[in-house]
Amino acid sequence: MIHPLILVAVFAVSTVLGYFIIRTVPSLLHTPLMSGMNALSGVTIVGSIVATGVAFLSGGGVLSQLAGCLAIVLAAVNVFGGFGVTHRMLRMFDKKKK
Amino acid sequence: MVLAGISMMSKVRTAVAGNLLSALAMLCGIVATLLFAGVVSVWTIYVSILIGALAGSLLAARVKMIQMPQTVALFNGLGGGASALVGILSIGGEGAFVRFTALLAVAVGMVTLVGSLVAAGKLHRVLPQKPVVWKGHALCTLLFLALTLGFVVAGIFAEGAGLTVCLAGAFVAASLFGLWFSLRVGGADMPVTISLLNSLSGVAGAIAGMAIGDVFLVAVGGIVGASGLLLTQIMCRAMNRSLMSILTGGPVKPTPQTPVKENEQLVVRIMDLEKKIKELEAMVADLEARVKALDGQLNAAPATPVEEAPTAAGVLSKARDVIIVPGYGMALAQAQHQVRQLADKLESRGARVRFAIHPVAGRMPGHMNVLLAEADVDYEKLFEMDAINDDFKNADAVVVIGANDVLNPAARDAVGTPIYGMPVLNVDQAPEVIVCNYDLKPGYAGVENPIYSRKQGVYLELGDAKETLMRLMAGIA
Repeated sequence: MIHPLILVAVFAVSTVLGYFIIRTVPSLLHTPLMSGMNALSGVTIVGSIVATGVAFLSGGGVLSQLAGCLAIVLAAVNVFGGFGVTHRMLRMFDKKKK
Repeated sequence: MVLAGISMMSKVRTAVAGNLLSALAMLCGIVATLLFAGVVSVWTIYVSILIGALAGSLLAARVKMIQMPQTVALFNGLGGGASALVGILSIGGEGAFVRFTALLAVAVGMVTLVGSLVAAGKLHRVLPQKPVVWKGHALCTLLFLALTLGFVVAGIFAEGAGLTVCLAGAFVAASLFGLWFSLRVGGADMPVTISLLNSLSGVAGAIAGMAIGDVFLVAVGGIVGASGLLLTQIMCRAMNRSLMSILTGGPVKPTPQTPVKENEQLVVRIMDLEKKIKELEAMVADLEARVKALDGQLNAAPATPVEEAPTAAGVLSKARDVIIVPGYGMALAQAQHQVRQLADKLESRGARVRFAIHPVAGRMPGHMNVLLAEADVDYEKLFEMDAINDDFKNADAVVVIGANDVLNPAARDAVGTPIYGMPVLNVDQAPEVIVCNYDLKPGYAGVENPIYSRKQGVYLELGDAKETLMRLMAGIA
């Protein structure tokens, strides 16, 4: 188990970092940026995988396993849908200048 | 790696690669997690991923560009919901920190899920677009927020059954909070809400990551949270409203009183005069309308459009420097392809065509850019408000397509209206303005646009933007 303080620190640092990087994105690309970010927010799939895995291995109840699977499904829709949509949008920006 | 991917998205040229890099980073993260957490053997995970991936990819491939806002909102909500579920699952962990973060993840996740679903519903017109206000709305909103926080904090000290109660409490209170605050938001404030929810879904992921002690999750969640917040800020600044007023206040209440007493009378008189002028203008418009109606009856032919079109088209065919202002109406009419044809036509006649994009045009940040890109408009012709605002007075003609609030000059001087103080495009400074709107009704902000009643240099082409644009183009040729 990683120390809570480290986790909070990581959170703070990445927030600041993200803030500065995203400031460079022009408003032209804000929609793709947002849907890209949105796809990234699906990282919670990692969390749901761990949680479900633990529930499965420790012989948790059917209920918690079901909840875990549901979480994975939701997060996966988020990830795949998000990246798919972003890709489609960006390709449209791209095709003109060849 | 994720960071590199995002920074690559800051340039149009590298954006596609950046997106793929982010996706790749995510894949690595998932695989690494499978290995390190020692859960490779759990088959249900793979089945679940497969189902989700199929559903997500199908959705992504099917959805139309105009539906983008609600799609993003929907995905967003699902991510939040997943975070909430992770929170529920990990609540049994050891230590106060885990309990606290797990509860927080449940709370933030549920707010995101419910809020996003309502937002998506509104954008998809399943739910009424107008702000819904129930009795004691602000009070209830605050109450639910306080309740949510209360349950989360109480969860730190709770054990056993008490913890379950806290969990259920936080779950329900957070859901209600999400419902209450998002129902309150009207159509024009949607872009802000979506960015905010986007940010929240990131935060929810980060907190869920804290609960299960996963650094990757915390880091990416933090980035997403920051980006959403930044976008929210940009949107708010573009509308000159604070976040709080959008979430709690609804439209700004008219405040006619000025602090200095001497000015007060003056202001009242001016307002009185303005009102009278408006009345007169309304009367004139009324008379004109009647005359027009009579004319129409006399000619018994579709005389009005035929009469009007040549003028607007005539202006356009003479114009050397044209600025096009698209708005949500263009998106609704799916007229972006016609807009491009118009632009091409004008350019082939030697005119310079540029697009002026207001930061909050459409229903999400950058909405117009995506639509125009779909119609193959070169992104180098798209200009942000600050870059092009000084050029309106030099332009020969301005074509407004389905936009209203973002060019309403009332925002500069009509104190007390919801849009007062919002930076707008200086369309009113242009010598010739062609308005291709569906009707002359006020936009979402509900403020009359004085441009429409201008005496000179305004050509109103009312109706479906697709048809009016076709007519314009026919007139030019």
